[in-house]
Amino acid sequence: MKNILSVLRAERGWSQADLADRLGVSRQTVNAVERGKYDPSLPLAFKIARLFQLPIERIFFPDEGSGE
Amino acid sequence: MAVSEASRTPGGVLYGLYLASLAVSLCGNLVIRLGERAGWLPAPARVVLAVLASVPLVLAAVFFWRMLRGTLDEMLQRIALEGLAFAFVLYVPVTAVYLNLRTAAVWLPRLDPADLLIAPALLVAIGLLVSHRRYS
Repeated sequence: MKNILSVLRAERGWSQADLADRLGVSRQTVNAVERGKYDPSLPLAFKIARLFQLPIERIFFPDEGSGE
Repeated sequence: MAVSEASRTPGGVLYGLYLASLAVSLCGNLVIRLGERAGWLPAPARVVLAVLASVPLVLAAVFFWRMLRGTLDEMLQRIALEGLAFAFVLYVPVTAVYLNLRTAAVWLPRLDPADLLIAPALLVAIGLLVSHRRYS
Protein backbone atom coordinates (compact mmCIF):
# COMPACT_ATOMS: atom_id res chain seq x y z
CA MET A 1 0.00 0.00 0.00
CA LYS A 2 1.06 3.55 -0.72
CA ASN A 3 -0.07 6.56 1.26
CA ILE A 4 0.18 10.32 1.53
CA LEU A 5 0.76 10.31 5.27
CA SER A 6 4.05 12.20 5.08
CA VAL A 7 2.40 14.91 2.94
CA LEU A 8 -0.50 15.30 5.35
CA ARG A 9 1.88 15.39 8.28
CA ALA A 10 4.13 17.98 6.63
CA GLU A 11 1.12 20.18 5.80
CA ARG A 12 0.41 20.39 9.50
CA GLY A 13 4.03 20.91 10.47
CA TRP A 14 4.09 17.80 12.63
CA SER A 15 7.13 15.65 13.19
CA GLN A 16 6.86 11.86 13.06
CA ALA A 17 7.01 11.87 16.85
CA ASP A 18 4.09 14.36 17.00
CA LEU A 19 1.99 12.15 14.75
CA ALA A 20 3.01 9.05 16.71
CA ASP A 21 1.85 10.72 19.94
CA ARG A 22 -1.48 11.65 18.40
CA LEU A 23 -2.01 8.11 17.12
CA GLY A 24 -0.72 6.36 20.23
CA VAL A 25 1.94 4.40 18.38
CA SER A 26 5.74 4.51 18.23
CA ARG A 27 7.67 6.84 15.93
CA GLN A 28 9.14 3.76 14.26
CA THR A 29 5.63 2.66 13.30
CA VAL A 30 4.80 6.05 11.78
CA ASN A 31 8.08 5.95 9.84
CA ALA A 32 7.38 2.42 8.56
CA VAL A 33 3.83 3.31 7.51
CA GLU A 34 4.97 6.46 5.71
CA ARG A 35 7.62 4.53 3.81
CA GLY A 36 5.16 1.81 2.86
CA LYS A 37 7.13 -0.80 4.80
CA TYR A 38 4.22 -1.58 7.08
CA ASP A 39 0.51 -1.62 6.29
CA PRO A 40 -1.45 -0.47 9.34
CA SER A 41 -4.32 -2.47 10.76
CA LEU A 42 -7.86 -1.28 10.00
CA PRO A 43 -8.30 0.30 13.47
CA LEU A 44 -5.07 2.28 13.03
CA ALA A 45 -6.02 3.26 9.46
CA PHE A 46 -9.39 4.52 10.72
CA LYS A 47 -7.60 6.43 13.49
CA ILE A 48 -5.35 8.08 10.90
CA ALA A 49 -8.33 8.92 8.70
CA ARG A 50 -10.18 10.42 11.64
CA LEU A 51 -7.15 12.47 12.68
CA PHE A 52 -6.76 13.98 9.22
CA GLN A 53 -10.54 14.12 8.65
CA LEU A 54 -10.26 12.33 5.33
CA PRO A 55 -11.68 9.05 4.01
CA ILE A 56 -9.26 6.12 4.28
CA GLU A 57 -9.10 5.72 0.50
CA ARG A 58 -7.85 9.29 0.14
CA ILE A 59 -4.90 8.49 2.39
CA PHE A 60 -4.13 4.88 1.47
CA PHE A 61 -4.25 3.42 -2.00
CA PRO A 62 -3.00 0.21 -3.62
CA ASP A 63 0.54 0.03 -4.91
CA GLU A 64 -0.18 -0.81 -8.56
CA GLY A 65 3.20 -2.47 -9.08
CA SER A 66 2.83 -4.92 -6.18
CA GLY A 67 -0.50 -6.38 -7.29
CA GLU A 68 -2.17 -5.46 -3.97
CA MET B 1 22.39 4.08 13.88
CA ALA B 2 19.45 1.79 13.20
CA VAL B 3 20.69 -0.65 15.80
CA SER B 4 21.16 2.02 18.46
CA GLU B 5 17.68 3.33 17.71
CA ALA B 6 16.31 -0.20 17.93
CA SER B 7 17.97 -0.62 21.31
CA ARG B 8 15.94 2.31 22.67
CA THR B 9 12.61 0.80 21.65
CA PRO B 10 10.56 -1.15 24.21
CA GLY B 11 11.53 -4.30 22.34
CA GLY B 12 15.22 -3.39 22.62
CA VAL B 13 14.90 -2.67 26.34
CA LEU B 14 13.07 -5.95 26.77
CA TYR B 15 15.72 -7.91 24.92
CA GLY B 16 18.44 -6.27 27.03
CA LEU B 17 16.56 -7.29 30.16
CA TYR B 18 16.20 -10.80 28.79
CA LEU B 19 19.93 -11.05 28.10
CA ALA B 20 20.76 -9.72 31.58
CA SER B 21 18.43 -12.33 33.10
CA LEU B 22 20.05 -15.01 30.99
CA ALA B 23 23.49 -13.88 32.16
CA VAL B 24 22.35 -14.11 35.81
CA SER B 25 21.03 -17.61 35.16
CA LEU B 26 24.26 -18.71 33.49
CA CYS B 27 26.37 -17.19 36.28
CA GLY B 28 24.27 -19.13 38.77
CA ASN B 29 24.87 -22.26 36.74
CA LEU B 30 28.62 -21.60 36.77
CA VAL B 31 28.70 -21.00 40.53
CA ILE B 32 26.75 -24.24 41.12
CA ARG B 33 29.20 -26.22 39.00
CA LEU B 34 32.24 -24.68 40.65
CA GLY B 35 30.75 -25.17 44.09
CA GLU B 36 29.91 -28.78 43.38
CA ARG B 37 33.36 -29.60 42.02
CA ALA B 38 35.24 -27.81 44.78
CA GLY B 39 32.88 -29.12 47.42
CA TRP B 40 32.19 -25.78 49.15
CA LEU B 41 28.52 -25.60 48.13
CA PRO B 42 26.26 -28.16 49.84
CA ALA B 43 23.42 -29.79 47.88
CA PRO B 44 20.56 -27.79 49.49
CA ALA B 45 22.39 -24.52 48.72
CA ARG B 46 22.89 -25.64 45.13
CA VAL B 47 19.14 -26.22 44.78
CA VAL B 48 18.33 -22.82 46.28
CA LEU B 49 20.86 -21.13 44.00
CA ALA B 50 19.52 -23.00 40.97
CA VAL B 51 16.01 -21.71 41.66
CA LEU B 52 17.09 -18.16 42.55
CA ALA B 53 19.27 -17.84 39.45
CA SER B 54 16.26 -18.66 37.30
CA VAL B 55 13.92 -16.12 38.92
CA PRO B 56 15.06 -13.15 36.73
CA LEU B 57 14.23 -15.16 33.60
CA VAL B 58 10.76 -15.89 34.95
CA LEU B 59 10.28 -12.18 35.71
CA ALA B 60 11.56 -11.30 32.22
CA ALA B 61 9.04 -13.75 30.74
CA VAL B 62 6.18 -12.13 32.70
CA PHE B 63 7.42 -8.65 31.71
CA PHE B 64 7.68 -9.76 28.09
CA TRP B 65 4.13 -11.06 28.08
CA ARG B 66 2.75 -7.89 29.63
CA MET B 67 4.70 -5.71 27.21
CA LEU B 68 3.60 -7.75 24.23
CA ARG B 69 -0.04 -7.45 25.24
CA GLY B 70 0.00 -3.86 26.41
CA THR B 71 2.94 -1.56 25.77
CA LEU B 72 4.04 -2.49 22.27
CA ASP B 73 2.08 -1.04 19.39
CA GLU B 74 0.91 -3.23 16.52
CA MET B 75 4.07 -3.00 14.43
CA LEU B 76 6.40 -3.61 17.37
CA GLN B 77 4.24 -6.59 18.33
CA ARG B 78 4.70 -7.91 14.83
CA ILE B 79 8.46 -7.39 14.98
CA ALA B 80 8.65 -9.24 18.32
CA LEU B 81 6.46 -12.11 17.13
CA GLU B 82 8.26 -12.45 13.80
CA GLY B 83 11.59 -12.45 15.65
CA LEU B 84 10.39 -15.24 17.93
CA ALA B 85 8.93 -17.19 15.01
CA PHE B 86 12.20 -16.84 13.11
CA ALA B 87 14.12 -18.15 16.12
CA PHE B 88 11.82 -21.10 16.67
CA VAL B 89 11.61 -22.07 13.01
CA LEU B 90 15.40 -21.98 12.74
CA TYR B 91 16.15 -23.55 16.14
CA VAL B 92 14.41 -26.84 15.37
CA PRO B 93 16.23 -27.69 12.12
CA VAL B 94 19.59 -26.41 13.41
CA THR B 95 19.24 -28.59 16.51
CA ALA B 96 18.12 -31.55 14.43
CA VAL B 97 21.12 -31.21 12.11
CA TYR B 98 23.44 -30.95 15.11
CA LEU B 99 21.98 -34.03 16.77
CA ASN B 100 22.01 -36.06 13.55
CA LEU B 101 25.62 -35.14 12.80
CA ARG B 102 26.65 -36.10 16.33
CA THR B 103 24.79 -39.37 15.95
CA ALA B 104 26.66 -39.94 12.69
CA ALA B 105 29.88 -39.53 14.67
CA VAL B 106 30.90 -36.33 12.90
CA TRP B 107 33.10 -34.28 15.20
CA LEU B 108 31.22 -31.30 16.59
CA PRO B 109 31.80 -29.28 19.74
CA ARG B 110 29.92 -30.81 22.63
CA LEU B 111 27.09 -28.55 23.76
CA ASP B 112 26.06 -28.61 27.39
CA PRO B 113 22.69 -27.33 28.69
CA ALA B 114 24.08 -23.82 29.16
CA ASP B 115 24.99 -23.65 25.46
CA LEU B 116 21.55 -24.91 24.54
CA LEU B 117 20.10 -22.06 26.61
CA ILE B 118 22.17 -19.45 24.79
CA ALA B 119 21.37 -20.74 21.28
CA PRO B 120 17.70 -19.63 21.28
CA ALA B 121 18.70 -16.25 22.75
CA LEU B 122 21.10 -15.69 19.87
CA LEU B 123 18.52 -16.82 17.33
CA VAL B 124 15.91 -14.48 18.86
CA ALA B 125 18.42 -11.61 18.60
CA ILE B 126 19.04 -12.42 14.93
CA GLY B 127 15.29 -12.78 14.34
CA LEU B 128 14.55 -9.40 15.96
CA LEU B 129 17.25 -7.71 13.90
CA VAL B 130 16.00 -9.27 10.65
CA SER B 131 12.42 -8.36 11.48
CA HIS B 132 13.37 -4.82 12.57
CA ARG B 133 15.30 -4.22 9.35
CA ARG B 134 12.31 -5.36 7.34
CA TYR B 135 10.14 -2.57 8.72
CA SER B 136 12.71 0.24 8.88
